[in-house]
Amino acid sequence: MGESRRARLILGTLLTVALIILTVDHRTGEGSPFQPVRTAGAWLFGGAEQVVGTVGRPVSDFLHAVASAPSAQNDIKRLRAENSRLRAGLDANRLDAARSAQLKRMLGLAGRGGYKVVSANVIARRGAPGFEDAVQLDAGTDDGVRPEMTVLNGDGLVGRVIQASRSTSTAVLISDRASAAGARLEGGEEIGVVHGVGENGRLVQFRLLDSTAPMTRGGRIVSFGSQRGAPYVPGVPIGVIERVEATPGELTRVAFARPYADLTALDVVGVVVGAPARDPRDAVLPQRGRKEGAR
Amino acid sequence: MMAVLIVLVTVLVQVIVVNRLGLPGGAAPDLVLLAVVGVAMARGPVAGTVIGFCAGLLVDVVPPTAHLLGQYAFVLALVGYLAGRGVGSPVTTVIVCVLIAPLLAAGLGGLISDPRVTVATLTEQIPLTIVYTLIASPVVMWLNGRGGQLRYAA
Repeated sequence: MGESRRARLILGTLLTVALIILTVDHRTGEGSPFQPVRTAGAWLFGGAEQVVGTVGRPVSDFLHAVASAPSAQNDIKRLRAENSRLRAGLDANRLDAARSAQLKRMLGLAGRGGYKVVSANVIARRGAPGFEDAVQLDAGTDDGVRPEMTVLNGDGLVGRVIQASRSTSTAVLISDRASAAGARLEGGEEIGVVHGVGENGRLVQFRLLDSTAPMTRGGRIVSFGSQRGAPYVPGVPIGVIERVEATPGELTRVAFARPYADLTALDVVGVVVGAPARDPRDAVLPQRGRKEGAR
Repeated sequence: MMAVLIVLVTVLVQVIVVNRLGLPGGAAPDLVLLAVVGVAMARGPVAGTVIGFCAGLLVDVVPPTAHLLGQYAFVLALVGYLAGRGVGSPVTTVIVCVLIAPLLAAGLGGLISDPRVTVATLTEQIPLTIVYTLIASPVVMWLNGRGGQLRYAA
Protein backbone atom coordinates (compact mmCIF):
# COMPACT_ATOMS: atom_id res chain seq x y z
CA MET A 1 0.00 0.00 0.00
CA GLY A 2 2.87 2.35 0.90
CA GLU A 3 4.54 1.55 -2.41
CA SER A 4 1.37 2.35 -4.33
CA ARG A 5 0.93 5.71 -2.53
CA ARG A 6 4.55 6.61 -3.19
CA ALA A 7 4.11 5.79 -6.87
CA ARG A 8 1.03 7.99 -7.08
CA LEU A 9 2.81 10.82 -5.28
CA ILE A 10 5.78 10.63 -7.65
CA LEU A 11 3.44 10.44 -10.64
CA GLY A 12 1.56 13.52 -9.48
CA THR A 13 4.77 15.47 -8.89
CA LEU A 14 6.33 14.57 -12.20
CA LEU A 15 3.15 15.29 -14.17
CA THR A 16 2.97 18.70 -12.51
CA VAL A 17 6.63 19.36 -13.32
CA ALA A 18 6.00 18.37 -16.94
CA LEU A 19 2.99 20.68 -17.16
CA ILE A 20 4.94 23.55 -15.61
CA ILE A 21 7.80 23.10 -18.06
CA LEU A 22 5.31 22.89 -20.92
CA THR A 23 3.48 26.03 -19.84
CA VAL A 24 6.62 28.07 -19.29
CA ASP A 25 8.04 26.91 -22.63
CA HIS A 26 4.76 27.69 -24.41
CA ARG A 27 4.23 31.10 -22.79
CA THR A 28 7.74 32.48 -23.20
CA GLY A 29 8.11 31.35 -26.83
CA GLU A 30 11.41 32.48 -28.35
CA GLY A 31 12.91 33.74 -25.09
CA SER A 32 12.19 30.49 -23.29
CA PRO A 33 14.43 29.73 -20.28
CA PHE A 34 14.65 26.19 -21.65
CA GLN A 35 16.36 27.32 -24.85
CA PRO A 36 19.82 26.47 -23.39
CA VAL A 37 18.56 22.93 -22.65
CA ARG A 38 17.47 22.55 -26.23
CA THR A 39 20.75 23.97 -27.54
CA ALA A 40 22.73 21.61 -25.30
CA GLY A 41 20.58 18.70 -26.44
CA ALA A 42 21.07 19.63 -30.08
CA TRP A 43 24.82 19.82 -29.57
CA LEU A 44 25.10 16.56 -27.65
CA PHE A 45 22.62 14.36 -29.49
CA GLY A 46 23.17 16.03 -32.86
CA GLY A 47 26.82 15.03 -32.51
CA ALA A 48 25.84 11.50 -31.57
CA GLU A 49 23.41 11.29 -34.49
CA GLN A 50 26.12 12.51 -36.82
CA VAL A 51 28.56 9.83 -35.71
CA VAL A 52 25.99 7.04 -35.69
CA GLY A 53 24.54 8.30 -38.97
CA THR A 54 27.90 8.09 -40.70
CA VAL A 55 28.62 4.62 -39.38
CA GLY A 56 25.07 3.36 -39.84
CA ARG A 57 24.40 4.86 -43.28
CA PRO A 58 24.88 1.61 -45.23
CA VAL A 59 22.59 -0.14 -42.72
CA SER A 60 19.82 2.45 -42.93
CA ASP A 61 20.20 2.64 -46.71
CA PHE A 62 19.74 -1.11 -46.86
CA LEU A 63 16.76 -1.09 -44.46
CA HIS A 64 15.21 1.71 -46.44
CA ALA A 65 15.59 -0.30 -49.60
CA VAL A 66 13.88 -3.26 -47.97
CA ALA A 67 11.11 -1.24 -46.31
CA SER A 68 10.06 0.50 -49.51
CA ALA A 69 9.44 -2.88 -51.17
CA PRO A 70 5.67 -3.28 -50.29
CA SER A 71 4.69 -0.28 -52.39
CA ALA A 72 5.88 -2.13 -55.50
CA GLN A 73 3.90 -5.25 -54.69
CA ASN A 74 1.86 -5.16 -57.86
CA ASP A 75 4.93 -6.01 -59.87
CA ILE A 76 6.68 -8.74 -57.95
CA LYS A 77 8.95 -9.71 -60.76
CA ARG A 78 10.27 -6.23 -61.25
CA LEU A 79 10.56 -5.93 -57.48
CA ARG A 80 12.71 -9.04 -57.24
CA ALA A 81 15.00 -7.79 -59.95
CA GLU A 82 15.14 -4.40 -58.29
CA ASN A 83 15.77 -5.88 -54.87
CA SER A 84 18.68 -7.92 -56.04
CA ARG A 85 20.00 -4.90 -57.85
CA LEU A 86 19.59 -2.84 -54.69
CA ARG A 87 21.30 -5.47 -52.61
CA ALA A 88 24.15 -5.52 -55.06
CA GLY A 89 24.13 -1.74 -54.84
CA LEU A 90 24.90 -1.99 -51.15
CA ASP A 91 28.42 -1.89 -52.36
CA ALA A 92 29.61 1.42 -51.01
CA ASN A 93 30.67 2.55 -54.47
CA ARG A 94 27.22 2.30 -56.01
CA LEU A 95 25.54 4.12 -53.12
CA ASP A 96 28.14 6.84 -53.22
CA ALA A 97 27.54 7.21 -56.95
CA ALA A 98 23.80 7.61 -56.36
CA ARG A 99 24.40 10.24 -53.71
CA SER A 100 26.88 12.02 -55.91
CA ALA A 101 24.23 12.17 -58.66
CA GLN A 102 21.77 13.69 -56.15
CA LEU A 103 24.38 16.22 -55.10
CA LYS A 104 25.05 17.10 -58.74
CA ARG A 105 21.33 17.65 -59.40
CA MET A 106 21.03 19.79 -56.29
CA LEU A 107 24.01 21.92 -57.29
CA GLY A 108 22.56 22.20 -60.81
CA LEU A 109 19.30 23.57 -59.43
CA ALA A 110 21.16 25.94 -57.13
CA GLY A 111 23.23 27.11 -60.09
CA ARG A 112 20.16 27.86 -62.24
CA GLY A 113 18.69 30.01 -59.51
CA GLY A 114 21.93 31.66 -58.49
CA TYR A 115 21.54 30.41 -54.91
CA LYS A 116 24.63 30.00 -52.80
CA VAL A 117 24.20 26.64 -51.06
CA VAL A 118 25.91 24.50 -48.45
CA SER A 119 25.31 20.81 -49.07
CA ALA A 120 24.21 18.57 -46.21
CA ASN A 121 23.01 15.03 -45.54
CA VAL A 122 19.91 14.09 -43.59
CA ILE A 123 21.07 12.22 -40.48
CA ALA A 124 17.87 11.84 -38.44
CA ARG A 125 14.16 12.37 -38.81
CA ARG A 126 11.13 13.08 -36.61
CA GLY A 127 7.62 11.86 -37.12
CA ALA A 128 7.43 9.59 -34.13
CA PRO A 129 7.33 10.37 -31.25
CA GLY A 130 5.85 13.75 -32.07
CA PHE A 131 3.67 15.22 -34.77
CA GLU A 132 6.27 17.40 -36.46
CA ASP A 133 7.87 16.59 -39.79
CA ALA A 134 11.47 17.60 -39.22
CA VAL A 135 14.91 16.38 -40.20
CA GLN A 136 18.39 16.83 -38.75
CA LEU A 137 21.14 17.92 -41.16
CA ASP A 138 24.87 17.39 -40.71
CA ALA A 139 25.75 21.03 -41.41
CA GLY A 140 25.71 23.68 -38.70
CA THR A 141 26.81 27.19 -37.84
CA ASP A 142 30.42 26.24 -38.58
CA ASP A 143 29.37 25.69 -42.20
CA GLY A 144 27.46 28.98 -42.32
CA VAL A 145 23.99 27.57 -41.63
CA ARG A 146 21.73 29.86 -39.58
CA PRO A 147 18.10 29.56 -38.48
CA GLU A 148 15.51 30.77 -41.04
CA MET A 149 17.41 29.61 -44.11
CA THR A 150 15.85 27.79 -47.06
CA VAL A 151 16.49 24.06 -47.53
CA LEU A 152 16.17 22.56 -51.03
CA ASN A 153 17.26 19.48 -52.93
CA GLY A 154 17.80 18.67 -56.60
CA ASP A 155 14.06 18.64 -57.28
CA GLY A 156 12.70 21.59 -55.33
CA LEU A 157 11.86 23.18 -52.00
CA VAL A 158 12.26 20.99 -48.90
CA GLY A 159 11.80 23.30 -45.90
CA ARG A 160 13.52 25.79 -43.65
CA VAL A 161 16.10 25.68 -40.88
CA ILE A 162 14.64 26.36 -37.43
CA GLN A 163 17.64 25.69 -35.23
CA ALA A 164 21.36 25.40 -35.84
CA SER A 165 24.06 24.16 -33.50
CA ARG A 166 27.77 24.10 -34.35
CA SER A 167 27.82 21.02 -36.53
CA THR A 168 24.17 20.08 -37.05
CA SER A 169 20.90 21.85 -37.71
CA THR A 170 17.18 21.11 -37.59
CA ALA A 171 14.93 21.76 -40.59
CA VAL A 172 11.12 21.70 -40.67
CA LEU A 173 9.75 20.29 -43.93
CA ILE A 174 7.06 22.00 -46.03
CA SER A 175 4.83 18.98 -45.34
CA ASP A 176 4.77 19.86 -41.61
CA ARG A 177 1.30 21.03 -40.60
CA ALA A 178 2.71 24.12 -38.90
CA SER A 179 4.69 25.18 -41.96
CA ALA A 180 3.56 27.99 -44.28
CA ALA A 181 5.53 29.27 -47.27
CA GLY A 182 4.73 32.09 -49.68
CA ALA A 183 4.27 30.79 -53.22
CA ARG A 184 3.52 32.07 -56.71
CA LEU A 185 1.89 30.47 -59.73
CA GLU A 186 4.25 30.06 -62.67
CA GLY A 187 4.19 32.81 -65.30
CA GLY A 188 2.10 35.29 -63.37
CA GLU A 189 1.82 37.43 -60.32
CA GLU A 190 -0.82 35.37 -58.55
CA ILE A 191 0.42 34.61 -55.06
CA GLY A 192 -0.67 32.26 -52.32
CA VAL A 193 0.49 30.25 -49.35
CA VAL A 194 1.67 26.62 -49.26
CA HIS A 195 0.68 24.75 -46.09
CA GLY A 196 1.72 21.26 -45.07
CA VAL A 197 -1.12 18.79 -44.59
CA GLY A 198 0.85 15.83 -43.31
CA GLU A 199 -0.25 13.16 -45.81
CA ASN A 200 3.23 11.70 -45.67
CA GLY A 201 4.54 14.66 -47.71
CA ARG A 202 2.75 13.37 -50.78
CA LEU A 203 0.67 16.52 -51.13
CA VAL A 204 0.81 20.11 -49.89
CA GLN A 205 -2.06 22.56 -49.78
CA PHE A 206 -1.82 25.69 -51.93
CA ARG A 207 -4.12 28.55 -50.96
CA LEU A 208 -4.41 31.13 -53.74
CA LEU A 209 -5.18 34.56 -52.31
CA ASP A 210 -7.17 35.79 -55.33
CA SER A 211 -10.30 33.67 -55.67
CA THR A 212 -10.99 34.90 -59.21
CA ALA A 213 -7.58 34.05 -60.66
CA PRO A 214 -7.45 31.02 -62.97
CA MET A 215 -5.82 27.93 -61.51
CA THR A 216 -5.82 24.53 -63.19
CA ARG A 217 -4.45 21.06 -62.75
CA GLY A 218 -0.84 20.89 -63.89
CA GLY A 219 -0.10 24.47 -62.91
CA ARG A 220 3.33 24.83 -61.36
CA ILE A 221 4.22 26.64 -58.17
CA VAL A 222 7.49 28.35 -57.23
CA SER A 223 8.42 29.97 -53.94
CA PHE A 224 7.53 33.66 -53.74
CA GLY A 225 10.38 34.58 -51.44
CA SER A 226 10.29 36.28 -48.08
CA GLN A 227 11.71 39.63 -47.07
CA ARG A 228 15.51 39.51 -47.45
CA GLY A 229 15.26 35.84 -48.41
CA ALA A 230 14.53 34.58 -44.87
CA PRO A 231 13.19 32.00 -44.38
CA TYR A 232 12.39 31.36 -48.06
CA VAL A 233 14.35 32.56 -51.10
CA PRO A 234 12.37 33.26 -54.30
CA GLY A 235 12.09 31.05 -57.36
CA VAL A 236 12.56 27.56 -55.87
CA PRO A 237 10.20 25.03 -57.54
CA ILE A 238 7.65 23.74 -55.04
CA GLY A 239 5.27 21.47 -56.90
CA VAL A 240 2.63 20.75 -59.53
CA ILE A 241 -1.07 21.29 -58.82
CA GLU A 242 -2.84 17.94 -58.74
CA ARG A 243 -6.41 18.95 -57.92
CA VAL A 244 -8.28 22.17 -57.38
CA GLU A 245 -10.92 22.24 -54.66
CA ALA A 246 -14.25 23.90 -55.30
CA THR A 247 -14.62 26.58 -52.62
CA PRO A 248 -17.63 28.66 -53.66
CA GLY A 249 -18.15 31.82 -51.67
CA GLU A 250 -14.71 31.79 -50.06
CA LEU A 251 -12.14 34.56 -50.33
CA THR A 252 -9.33 32.20 -51.26
CA ARG A 253 -9.06 29.20 -53.55
CA VAL A 254 -7.55 25.94 -52.41
CA ALA A 255 -5.59 23.41 -54.46
CA PHE A 256 -3.46 20.42 -53.59
CA ALA A 257 -0.04 20.15 -55.18
CA ARG A 258 2.45 17.32 -55.45
CA PRO A 259 5.85 18.58 -54.24
CA TYR A 260 8.76 18.22 -56.66
CA ALA A 261 11.00 17.05 -53.82
CA ASP A 262 10.31 13.52 -52.54
CA LEU A 263 9.87 14.46 -48.88
CA THR A 264 9.65 10.84 -47.73
CA ALA A 265 13.14 9.89 -48.88
CA LEU A 266 15.43 12.84 -48.33
CA ASP A 267 19.16 12.36 -48.44
CA VAL A 268 21.34 15.06 -50.02
CA VAL A 269 19.94 18.54 -49.50
CA GLY A 270 21.29 22.08 -49.77
CA VAL A 271 20.89 24.97 -47.36
CA VAL A 272 20.72 28.33 -49.16
CA VAL A 273 23.23 30.54 -47.36
CA GLY A 274 23.10 33.32 -49.96
CA ALA A 275 19.97 34.50 -51.80
CA PRO A 276 20.28 35.44 -55.49
CA ALA A 277 20.76 39.13 -56.26
CA ARG A 278 17.50 39.16 -58.23
CA ASP A 279 14.45 36.91 -58.31
CA PRO A 280 15.11 34.05 -60.80
CA ARG A 281 11.34 34.00 -61.53
CA ASP A 282 10.48 30.75 -63.35
CA ALA A 283 14.01 29.96 -64.54
CA VAL A 284 14.61 27.19 -62.00
CA LEU A 285 11.54 25.11 -62.95
CA PRO A 286 12.32 21.94 -64.93
CA GLN A 287 11.79 22.23 -68.70
CA ARG A 288 8.19 21.70 -69.80
CA GLY A 289 8.97 18.96 -72.33
CA ARG A 290 10.49 16.63 -69.77
CA LYS A 291 8.40 14.29 -67.70
CA GLU A 292 7.10 16.30 -64.77
CA GLY A 293 8.42 15.44 -61.37
CA ALA A 294 10.30 12.35 -62.51
CA ARG A 295 11.92 11.00 -59.40
CA MET B 1 21.61 2.01 -15.51
CA MET B 2 20.47 -0.62 -18.00
CA ALA B 3 17.10 1.13 -18.33
CA VAL B 4 18.78 4.47 -19.08
CA LEU B 5 20.91 2.83 -21.76
CA ILE B 6 17.93 1.05 -23.33
CA VAL B 7 15.90 4.26 -23.53
CA LEU B 8 18.81 6.35 -24.87
CA VAL B 9 19.66 3.82 -27.57
CA THR B 10 16.00 3.44 -28.53
CA VAL B 11 15.51 7.20 -28.96
CA LEU B 12 18.57 7.42 -31.22
CA VAL B 13 17.56 4.33 -33.24
CA GLN B 14 14.07 5.83 -33.62
CA VAL B 15 15.22 9.12 -35.16
CA ILE B 16 18.21 7.80 -37.11
CA VAL B 17 16.83 4.59 -38.60
CA VAL B 18 13.13 3.88 -37.99
CA ASN B 19 11.71 7.29 -38.92
CA ARG B 20 13.74 7.34 -42.13
CA LEU B 21 12.55 3.95 -43.39
CA GLY B 22 9.63 5.48 -45.27
CA LEU B 23 7.18 2.72 -44.37
CA PRO B 24 3.91 2.59 -46.35
CA GLY B 25 1.48 5.25 -45.15
CA GLY B 26 4.24 7.48 -43.85
CA ALA B 27 3.95 6.51 -40.20
CA ALA B 28 6.48 4.63 -38.07
CA PRO B 29 6.29 2.45 -34.97
CA ASP B 30 7.00 4.30 -31.73
CA LEU B 31 9.82 2.22 -30.28
CA VAL B 32 10.51 4.73 -27.49
CA LEU B 33 7.02 4.17 -26.13
CA LEU B 34 7.52 0.40 -26.23
CA ALA B 35 10.89 0.70 -24.50
CA VAL B 36 9.35 2.76 -21.68
CA VAL B 37 6.47 0.30 -21.36
CA GLY B 38 8.87 -2.65 -21.28
CA VAL B 39 11.20 -1.13 -18.70
CA ALA B 40 8.30 0.05 -16.53
CA MET B 41 6.62 -3.36 -16.59
CA ALA B 42 9.83 -4.92 -15.32
CA ARG B 43 10.53 -2.30 -12.64
CA GLY B 44 7.18 -1.31 -11.15
CA PRO B 45 5.24 1.97 -10.95
CA VAL B 46 7.79 4.15 -9.09
CA ALA B 47 10.73 3.42 -11.36
CA GLY B 48 8.37 3.35 -14.35
CA THR B 49 7.12 6.88 -13.68
CA VAL B 50 10.61 8.30 -13.18
CA ILE B 51 12.04 6.52 -16.23
CA GLY B 52 9.04 7.58 -18.32
CA PHE B 53 9.46 11.21 -17.29
CA CYS B 54 13.19 11.18 -18.09
CA ALA B 55 12.63 9.38 -21.40
CA GLY B 56 9.99 11.97 -22.27
CA LEU B 57 12.35 14.86 -21.56
CA LEU B 58 14.93 13.12 -23.74
CA VAL B 59 12.38 12.78 -26.56
CA ASP B 60 11.60 16.49 -26.23
CA VAL B 61 15.26 17.47 -26.47
CA VAL B 62 16.85 15.07 -28.99
CA PRO B 63 17.02 16.83 -32.37
CA PRO B 64 15.31 17.14 -34.77
CA THR B 65 12.57 18.56 -32.57
CA ALA B 66 10.03 21.32 -33.18
CA HIS B 67 7.59 20.80 -30.33
CA LEU B 68 7.52 22.21 -26.80
CA LEU B 69 9.58 20.86 -23.94
CA GLY B 70 7.55 18.83 -21.44
CA GLN B 71 4.92 17.39 -23.80
CA TYR B 72 6.32 13.88 -23.96
CA ALA B 73 7.65 14.08 -20.37
CA PHE B 74 4.00 14.27 -19.31
CA VAL B 75 2.80 11.55 -21.66
CA LEU B 76 5.56 9.04 -20.94
CA ALA B 77 5.51 9.63 -17.16
CA LEU B 78 1.85 8.65 -17.16
CA VAL B 79 2.47 5.70 -19.47
CA GLY B 80 5.38 4.56 -17.29
CA TYR B 81 3.12 4.64 -14.22
CA LEU B 82 0.32 2.73 -15.98
CA ALA B 83 2.69 0.11 -17.34
CA GLY B 84 4.41 -0.26 -13.95
CA ARG B 85 1.10 -0.74 -12.17
CA GLY B 86 -0.22 -3.03 -14.84
CA VAL B 87 -3.68 -3.03 -16.38
CA GLY B 88 -4.85 -6.64 -16.27
CA SER B 89 -2.52 -9.02 -18.07
CA PRO B 90 0.80 -7.92 -19.64
CA VAL B 91 -0.79 -8.05 -23.11
CA THR B 92 -3.66 -5.71 -22.20
CA THR B 93 -1.18 -3.42 -20.42
CA VAL B 94 0.88 -3.03 -23.59
CA ILE B 95 -2.21 -2.50 -25.74
CA VAL B 96 -3.71 0.09 -23.36
CA CYS B 97 -0.39 1.98 -23.18
CA VAL B 98 0.09 1.94 -26.95
CA LEU B 99 -3.46 3.26 -27.44
CA ILE B 100 -3.29 5.90 -24.73
CA ALA B 101 0.10 7.49 -25.45
CA PRO B 102 -0.56 9.03 -28.90
CA LEU B 103 -4.06 10.12 -27.90
CA LEU B 104 -2.69 11.79 -24.79
CA ALA B 105 0.04 13.50 -26.80
CA ALA B 106 -2.55 14.73 -29.28
CA GLY B 107 -4.82 15.91 -26.45
CA LEU B 108 -1.97 17.84 -24.86
CA GLY B 109 -1.08 19.31 -28.27
CA GLY B 110 -4.70 20.35 -28.65
CA LEU B 111 -4.66 22.05 -25.23
CA ILE B 112 -1.73 24.28 -26.21
CA SER B 113 -3.29 24.78 -29.68
CA ASP B 114 -0.49 23.06 -31.54
CA PRO B 115 -1.23 23.66 -35.27
CA ARG B 116 0.04 20.15 -36.02
CA VAL B 117 -2.81 18.50 -34.15
CA THR B 118 -5.84 18.52 -36.43
CA VAL B 119 -8.71 16.18 -37.19
CA ALA B 120 -6.55 14.58 -39.87
CA THR B 121 -3.95 13.79 -37.20
CA LEU B 122 -6.57 11.89 -35.23
CA THR B 123 -8.10 10.06 -38.18
CA GLU B 124 -5.04 9.28 -40.29
CA GLN B 125 -1.72 9.61 -38.53
CA ILE B 126 -2.48 8.29 -35.04
CA PRO B 127 -4.33 5.07 -36.05
CA LEU B 128 -1.49 4.18 -38.41
CA THR B 129 1.12 4.84 -35.72
CA ILE B 130 -0.84 2.68 -33.27
CA VAL B 131 -1.05 -0.17 -35.77
CA TYR B 132 2.68 -0.06 -36.52
CA THR B 133 3.53 0.14 -32.81
CA LEU B 134 1.29 -2.82 -32.01
CA ILE B 135 2.91 -4.82 -34.81
CA ALA B 136 6.35 -4.01 -33.40
CA SER B 137 5.36 -4.65 -29.78
CA PRO B 138 5.80 -8.47 -29.60
CA VAL B 139 9.45 -8.15 -30.63
CA VAL B 140 10.17 -5.53 -27.98
CA MET B 141 8.25 -7.46 -25.32
CA TRP B 142 10.12 -10.62 -26.20
CA LEU B 143 13.46 -8.82 -25.89
CA ASN B 144 12.26 -7.36 -22.62
CA GLY B 145 11.22 -10.81 -21.34
CA ARG B 146 14.64 -12.17 -22.14
CA GLY B 147 16.28 -9.20 -20.41
CA GLY B 148 14.04 -9.78 -17.39
CA GLN B 149 14.91 -13.45 -17.15
CA LEU B 150 18.57 -12.64 -17.32
CA ARG B 151 18.17 -10.11 -14.56
CA TYR B 152 16.33 -12.53 -12.31
CA ALA B 153 18.94 -15.21 -12.99
CA ALA B 154 21.78 -12.91 -12.01
